[in-house]
Amino acid sequence: MQFERAGAGSEGAGSEGAGSEGAGSESAGTVSAQFEHVEIGLLRLAASQLIDLLEAAETHALGTSDDPALRRLLPDAYTDDPAAAAEFRRFTADDLLERKVRNARCVLASLGEEPLDEIADEPGDAELSAAAAAEQPVTIALDPDDVQSWLRTLTDLRLTLAERLEIGPDGVPRLSDDEAPFLHDVYDWFGMVQESLVYAIDV
Amino acid sequence: MPKTDERLDLRDAVSLDRPWITIVWDDPVNLMSYVSYVFRSYFGVSAEQAERLMLQVHNNGKAVVATGNREAMERHVEAMHGYGLWATLAKADS
Repeated sequence: MQFERAGAGSEGAGSEGAGSEGAGSESAGTVSAQFEHVEIGLLRLAASQLIDLLEAAETHALGTSDDPALRRLLPDAYTDDPAAAAEFRRFTADDLLERKVRNARCVLASLGEEPLDEIADEPGDAELSAAAAAEQPVTIALDPDDVQSWLRTLTDLRLTLAERLEIGPDGVPRLSDDEAPFLHDVYDWFGMVQESLVYAIDV
Repeated sequence: MPKTDERLDLRDAVSLDRPWITIVWDDPVNLMSYVSYVFRSYFGVSAEQAERLMLQVHNNGKAVVATGNREAMERHVEAMHGYGLWATLAKADS
């Protein structure tokens, strides 16, 4: 999984005929990367859970929310003025939450339709070719707006996971239950995806 | 008798003019490359300036990334929260 600019490393594209004409302008700022199916499933699950978390948040109570992830996603804007912090939240929290949800939905949309899990009576050709297709990596292409949504959603996912993992100021996770190693792998992988995106759009 | 009022007005004006600052705080989650990118793309600073600010956040625990009136700083803080950065605003001398 590595994001690259569309057209990067394909100097020969111009000589490939009609199909490539206009690619330079139409796909300007587009980046793409190949993802395994399991990676797409993971992103899809995480983004859906993030949407659930954000939509369940009650904005008026965010300042005193029991959920540290929500408190970190929408932190106090004033460190030593609770009244001003509450006022700020009153004017901004709804918008911020809405935008965060919209970004996560954009990520879901760019991952494509969820595959239909059809169960056939006997393994037919369609099923066999579907199984073969499932092993092929999928190319995900993102336009500049998608990229912005991805960058922000990956951040929100990492912030949420960091709270679940009880990552301290030193960057070390305190959580040590059975789930911790998996969550930490996911956390690191989201970071890789994000960094790859930053480098891909950064010329 | 208008003298006192004038003086009060003056003090008010001074306190209103006192600039506010936007502070970005270090957190263990956000990647250095991403924080630099946010500074560059949102504040429009050069790559060198963004890198300097990012390292200031990383090494000192925080950095002042903008100065101005309160409304502008609140907009910056909201934008930073949109990016997932931990930002606050305060009066310049507090």
